[in-house]
Parts: sequence; C-alpha cells; structure tokens
Amino acid sequence: MREKANHLWIHAGLISFTLLTIYPVLWVLALAFSGQQSVGIIDLPKDPTFLERARGVLPWPAHFSVKNFVDVMTEQPFGTWLLNSVLVSVMTTALGVFLACTAAYAFSRFRFPGRDGGMLAFLVSQMFPGTLMLIPLFIIIVKWLGLGNTFWGLVIVYATTAIPFCVWMLKGYFDTIPIDIEESARIDGASPQTIFFRIILPLAKPAIAITALFSFMTAWNEFILASVFLEAEAKYTAPVGLRFFVGGFSSQWGFFAAGSVIVSLPVVILFLYLQKYLVSGLTAGSVK
Amino acid sequence: MSKPVTWLDRRALWGLGVALAVVLAFSGWLFGSVSGDLAGQQRQREAVLVANAVGASLAGATEEIAGERIKRWQAALPRLDSALVIAGRQLVASTRPEDGAPRSLKREEKPLFDLATMLRSAGETNVSEGAVRKKTVQIDDKGDGVVTVSVPYVVDGKFEGIVQLRVHDQGAVKVSPGGGWALGLALLAGALVIGFFLRVNPELRFDIARGVAVVALLALAVGFQQQRLGQMAKATAASDLAVSRFQAAAASAYSRTGAAPLVSSAASPWDTDAYGRPLKLIAADGSLLPRTSEAQKDSHTSFLDRSFWGINLVGLALLLFFLQGYATRTATALRDHADAYAYVAPAMIGMLVLVFFPFFYGIGLAFTDTTLFNESAPFRERWIGFGNFLQILGDFNIVTQGAEGTTVNYQNFYWTLMMTVIWTVTNVSVGVTFGFILALALNTEGLKGKWLYRILLILPWAIPNYITALVWRGMFHPQFGVINQFLQMFGMQPVKWFDGVVSAFVTGLVTNGWLSFPFMMVVILGALQSIPSDMYEAAEVEGATRWQQLRSITLPLLRPTLVPAIILSVVWTFNMFNIIFLVSGGEPGGANEILITKAYKIAFEQYQYAYAAAYSTVIFTILLVYGYFQTRMTRATESY
Repeated sequence: MREKANHLWIHAGLISFTLLTIYPVLWVLALAFSGQQSVGIIDLPKDPTFLERARGVLPWPAHFSVKNFVDVMTEQPFGTWLLNSVLVSVMTTALGVFLACTAAYAFSRFRFPGRDGGMLAFLVSQMFPGTLMLIPLFIIIVKWLGLGNTFWGLVIVYATTAIPFCVWMLKGYFDTIPIDIEESARIDGASPQTIFFRIILPLAKPAIAITALFSFMTAWNEFILASVFLEAEAKYTAPVGLRFFVGGFSSQWGFFAAGSVIVSLPVVILFLYLQKYLVSGLTAGSVK
Repeated sequence: MSKPVTWLDRRALWGLGVALAVVLAFSGWLFGSVSGDLAGQQRQREAVLVANAVGASLAGATEEIAGERIKRWQAALPRLDSALVIAGRQLVASTRPEDGAPRSLKREEKPLFDLATMLRSAGETNVSEGAVRKKTVQIDDKGDGVVTVSVPYVVDGKFEGIVQLRVHDQGAVKVSPGGGWALGLALLAGALVIGFFLRVNPELRFDIARGVAVVALLALAVGFQQQRLGQMAKATAASDLAVSRFQAAAASAYSRTGAAPLVSSAASPWDTDAYGRPLKLIAADGSLLPRTSEAQKDSHTSFLDRSFWGINLVGLALLLFFLQGYATRTATALRDHADAYAYVAPAMIGMLVLVFFPFFYGIGLAFTDTTLFNESAPFRERWIGFGNFLQILGDFNIVTQGAEGTTVNYQNFYWTLMMTVIWTVTNVSVGVTFGFILALALNTEGLKGKWLYRILLILPWAIPNYITALVWRGMFHPQFGVINQFLQMFGMQPVKWFDGVVSAFVTGLVTNGWLSFPFMMVVILGALQSIPSDMYEAAEVEGATRWQQLRSITLPLLRPTLVPAIILSVVWTFNMFNIIFLVSGGEPGGANEILITKAYKIAFEQYQYAYAAAYSTVIFTILLVYGYFQTRMTRATESY
C-alpha cells in the first residue's frame, strides 16, 4: 500500500517535470501551426485578465493553419536553404565516410611505421578548441582558397572534423571482422582493392551506417562555421537561415517555428530511434 | 664484424645535394620576396613624399588657389596621375576635368567622405593628445604600379579634410640577382662532387666524412647568401638614392607652385611614415643622410641575414637526416608499406591541411597584430611577439571607481573568465542535480509508463541546440514572451530579461539546463540499472535507511560513470557557444559573454584576427591545464 502511495508521488513529480520539459516543444508547434508571425501564441487584449493571460501561455494556437509551413517553403527562400543543407550534409557524409573507411581499414589491417603516431594524432586533434580553429579556417578557406560562399568549403571542413571520430569507430569494428575471410579471398586471387570494396565494406555495413549518420548530423546541425563562411543569402544552410528569421531586427517567429519543425523532425526521429545504442555506447566502458 | 664501407656512399651525395638545393631555393625565394618588398616600400615612400609635399603646398590656400596649385603639381611631376582635395562634404579641387570640382560629394563617393572623416579625427586625436598614436597617412597599394595616398588637408592648423593622390611608379630599383641561376647551379654541382667523394661509415656515430659534409654545406650556403646580402644592401642604397632624387624633383616642383617658401630643415619633412613622422633618411635638398640610429637600420638586409641562418639550420637538419640513414629508412618504409600509406593518405592529408595546419597557424597568428586591414602584409611585418597575451592577461582594470559609482569593465578578460567559470559550474551542477533526481525516479521498481517519460524527457537532447537556443530566446522575449506572460498571470512585473546581468545569465542557465539534463539523466540511469538489486536488499536486511543506502551504495557505485560524464560536460559547457551567442548574445554590454563567444566577437565583429587568436590560445591553454589536473586527480582517486 505504501509502495502505491510512493509511486503516486513519483508520478506526480515526473508528470509535472515532463510537462515543463516538453513545454518549449509544444510552444514551437503552436507557433508553427498558428499561421501568424508574432512571438506570442495569441494576441492579448489591452488589459488582460488572469484567464486571458493563461490562454496566452497555453501552447495551443487560436486557429490551426498550415499557412506558415506553406509560406516558408514557397514565399521564403527556406526551400533553397533546406536543399543547401541536404546537399552539404550528403556530400559531407559521402566524403567523410570514404576518407574514414580507407584510413580505418589501414589502421586495422596493416602494421606500418607511423601507425600508432597517426592514430594518436587523430585522437589529439579532438582536443583542439573550435574557436582556435575558426579564425585560421576562415582565413584558409575564405581568404586563401576563395571557397567562401561555396558548399565545398563547408563540406571539406565538416568532413575532416568528423574524420577522427569515424576512424576510431570504424577501426574498432574492422578489428572484429575475422582476418581469415580476407586471407582465403587472397588465396583465391582477389586483389587488395577487391577485398576492401567487395568483402570488408559490405561486412562493416552497420558501423558504416553509424559513421554516416554521425557525419550527416555534424553537417546538418552545424551553425557557427556556416554563418562565418556563407555570406550570400542564396547559399545559406538551414541553421543560418533559421537564425536569419529571428536574429537581429527581424522577427518572423512563425516562419522560424515552421522551419524548425521541418529541420528537427528527421533528426529527432533518428535520435529517438537510435538512443538505445547511444546509451549503451556511452556507459559500456565505464560501468562494471 | 663491421660492414665494409662501400666505395661510394650515396648518403653523402644525396644529403649534400638535397640539403643545398633546399637552402638555395629558400634563400633565393626569400631574396626575391624581400626585394619585392623593397620595391614596394620605395614606391610607397615616393607616393607619400609627393602627397606630403602637395599637402604642404596647399596649407592656407583658398579653393581656387588649391585647384590651381594641384594642376601645377601635375604639370611639374609627370608621375602624378591625379590629385583631389576634399574638405567636409566638398570636393574642393581635382585635376581631372570630368570631376567638375568644386562641388559636393556624390552618394557613391561616400567612402571618400568616410576616409576624410577618419583621417581628420586621427589627426585631431594626435594633436589633442600631443602624441602620435593614430595613422594620418592612408596608403593603398594594390601592387599594380599605382599607389593611392591620402594625407590630411590642413588649413591654418585645422584639419579640413584630405588630399588624395594617385602616383605611378617609375623605375623602382630592380635588384639583379647577380649570377642568378648560374651561381646556384654551380654551387649545387660543387656539392654533388664533394658528396661523390665522401664515404660515410654508417656504423660510426660520427666520422670525418660527416664533419666534412657539414662544413661543405655551410661554406657553400653562406657563400651564396653573403653574395645575396651584398646585393640587398646595394639595392637598399639605390632605393634611398632614388627617393632622394625624387625629393629634389618634388622640392623644385613645390617652388614652382607659388606656395610659401619651404622652411629649411635638415631632414626632409615629406619623407614620412604612415604617422606623418619624418624617416630622417634624406635631407630636404635631396641629399642622403647616413643611417645612424638603431631604428633606421636597414631592416630588409638584416631580416634577410637572420632568416638565412634559420634556413641554414633547416639545411643542416636535412643533411643529418640523410647522413644518419633516416632518409633511406623512410624510403624503404614507404616502399614496403605502399598499400597502407595509400589507404591512410587521403584522410591524413585532409587532417594535416584542415586540422593540424590551422591549429598551428592559429597559434602563430596569436603572436602577430593581424586585423582585417593588414592581412596582406608579410607575416614578419605583423609579428609582435607576446604583445597580445600581455594585453589580455596583463589588463587588471576590472573595476573602476568613477564619479557615477563603481563600474565594471565587462570587456576585461578576467571578468569574462569569471563568468565562464560561474557559467560552467552552475550549469554542470544543474544538469547533474536534475539528471540524478530524474534518474532515481525513473529507476523506481515497477513504475508504470517509464518508457514514455524517458522518450519525452530525452527530447531536449535530440533537438539541434541552435534551435533550442532560439526558441528560448523567443520565450524570454521581454514584451510578448510566454515567460513574462506567466509571471504577469500572478501579478508580477514583467522582467526585462536581457537588460540585467543576473537575469540575462538566468536565461542562459535555464536554456542550457533544459538541454543538458537529459544527457546526465540517461548516463546515470544506465549506471543505476547496472547496480545489482541484492545489494539494496542486503542493506535493508541490515536495517539501513534509504539515505544510508544512497550514500553508501548508490553514490560510490555511480562514481566511475559520473566522473567521466562530468568531465565531458564541463568541457562542453565551457565551450557552449550556441547558447550564449543565440540566447542573450552576451547582453547587457558583453557582461554575459563567455570566453569563446568573446573570442568570436573579437574576430568577426571587431576584425582583430590576431587578438582573437591569442584569446583562443589562452582558452586552449586553460582547457589543457584543466584536462591535465583532471586526469591526475581522477587517477589519484581511482584507487579506492
């Protein structure tokens, strides 16, 4: 009986905290479906009463409308920005995964001078702080290479920043693939390239999928570099574009909310789907 | 038995050849680049000289006279392409008939107006401070042979505007390399011949042949470099001479404009630096003055001299690399493991170019005074050593007692550091506290709907954090934001969130707390679930209270999970750019800036790249020190 009462209290606490937690999410949804641009959910009268104010806080739009979604994709350049983001992220993923797979394969299968040094260098590079890199990268990419306002500048930077994590991750997976498979293929006369592309890569599919996802997310969610590299509005990626709606002096909160929902939805779904692996990965080494 | 020494040792041959080739190539390239600088310097000196002369001739001239005089200048000096005089919004005079001076400036000539305002205020600042702090001469040299120079237009001691001249160069002294390729090739051939006859015994650490090789390399390299240094000194003298001739030409042109006769002075008042200070290298009559003081030392030749020794060191290192057999070993390794290197190369090259090089370049940049405006200057001219670090770390001007009470200098490094530490500590505490409580609640046995709570509570982690930041910015909106609506519901006054130091800090804290507790919750929950439940049962049998169980079972067993999670979380929060930058933007007045948003603003809003790089280097050092002590402490406490 006491247990039941305890659970009731825990439920009460959890429910109220969960409501607080999801409130911002509901707020964005309410703005997105409200069909208007103001930062308030409803327009309040001059001297609002308690109830009217409470209605203003409730994350429920006055009228449901998909106008914001339609407008943001058609009237605003958000469609282009989204496409830019997709392009950048896909190219980053392709380049990043290719670079990481080849390097990880070498680290896993070959013993060569400089192997340990190279892997250590990859690890150490993870400690370099973003801002220290930002200015030199800006000078190199924009001023020297002239790749500001292009996707290539972003793609090569994103891909290389993702490399160390991907290489370590893939190397671990390649290590678990038995070497016998390769040796028997070699006896059958397969070339090293054939072994790599036809045997190893297909076997490592799950790890490659995670690596690809990581590279994709890196590019999809990145905001600072993109806002420094891209000046032309037509070249913005979605994060820079969303900031553009509500940063500075513009306040098109409806467009921002609708855009945010569109950008976050795939990421959130993927995240929730994969969170089990994430957690086991995070705690695997430390517990026990 | 030692290996027999082969008749011809290729190490000595290759070592001497490659090392000398590298030394010669670098020295030659540097010589070319420095002589290019010298030519540019002469071009600019001449342009500044004539600009100062024209400016001097216009002192106290009315509009018509000014127009007349610059026309005479142009007639007397064919190298003067055009000249114009601007005072306030007026284009007072111009040598180009299509300008139609005098008239007021057009809209598209705004940059000229801005430049005039800038130079005028710089000049006034210098006069009022009685010191020379701001540049009053603006030089624009695109390297196409035409230099645009602007100097202040002073009438009766008052800064009215600017005189802007376009001067094309003529016969900038061409430094002939003297011997050029032939000399280099001859030296290289000599090195190869010497190397051919040297026999290095690989068994010995050091033998005569190695010594001979080192001496030969140094002798050949230094011979070549001394020849180049001689050229450079000659070129500098020739450059000075050319400027002095130009001074004489300008002086005679000046006398023909009808301006007040020159006040006689020893050094030319027109041959100045960008601050308008005479260089004292040539006399007013056009004769050369000796370079006496330390500051006047021929900087080009001495720079070249110093750099040559650096290059020689590189050459020596290369030679030893070959002599000691490392080169052979590297070549063998490359050949034997060609497959492996081919697989690693693409990623490695990418990392070198876009991660390691920028990292070291950033640290190098921290020792210069690079801004948006002097980026194209050679690296050595921007080098200022530890100046930026002294400015950042040596500024203790945090609190000032003024007439209006105490004011805090929010731009100070130590203030920002303090805010960053407070920010990190509070955020991590909030994250751990909420994460811990929620994890404990979710770990209750037999609780229904756990999975739903989990999914909903994890949501903040899943949403991209820049979106989170902007959403909270909207909710904290001082006028229409829901948070103020909520406060008003209960009759409270709306808070102007971004106007107060504390309230703006709270906005960041709430936002970051919201987005960081799920991580802690998930990590702690994972650890809690791995604690075997029989431990609690045993404790209960022993009669331990809930609190005692928590303290002696849960917390110690959580330690191994919690410590790495907190370390990670500290670094993340310390560098949490998006939240500060997008929610409060460091308002009010930069009080809530943390170190990395501050570094960003210095770089991309004030365009002081080098200062920002130094700031970032300091941040990196702080994190490094933190990481070092953290690992040591963790190791020390791991034992129990």
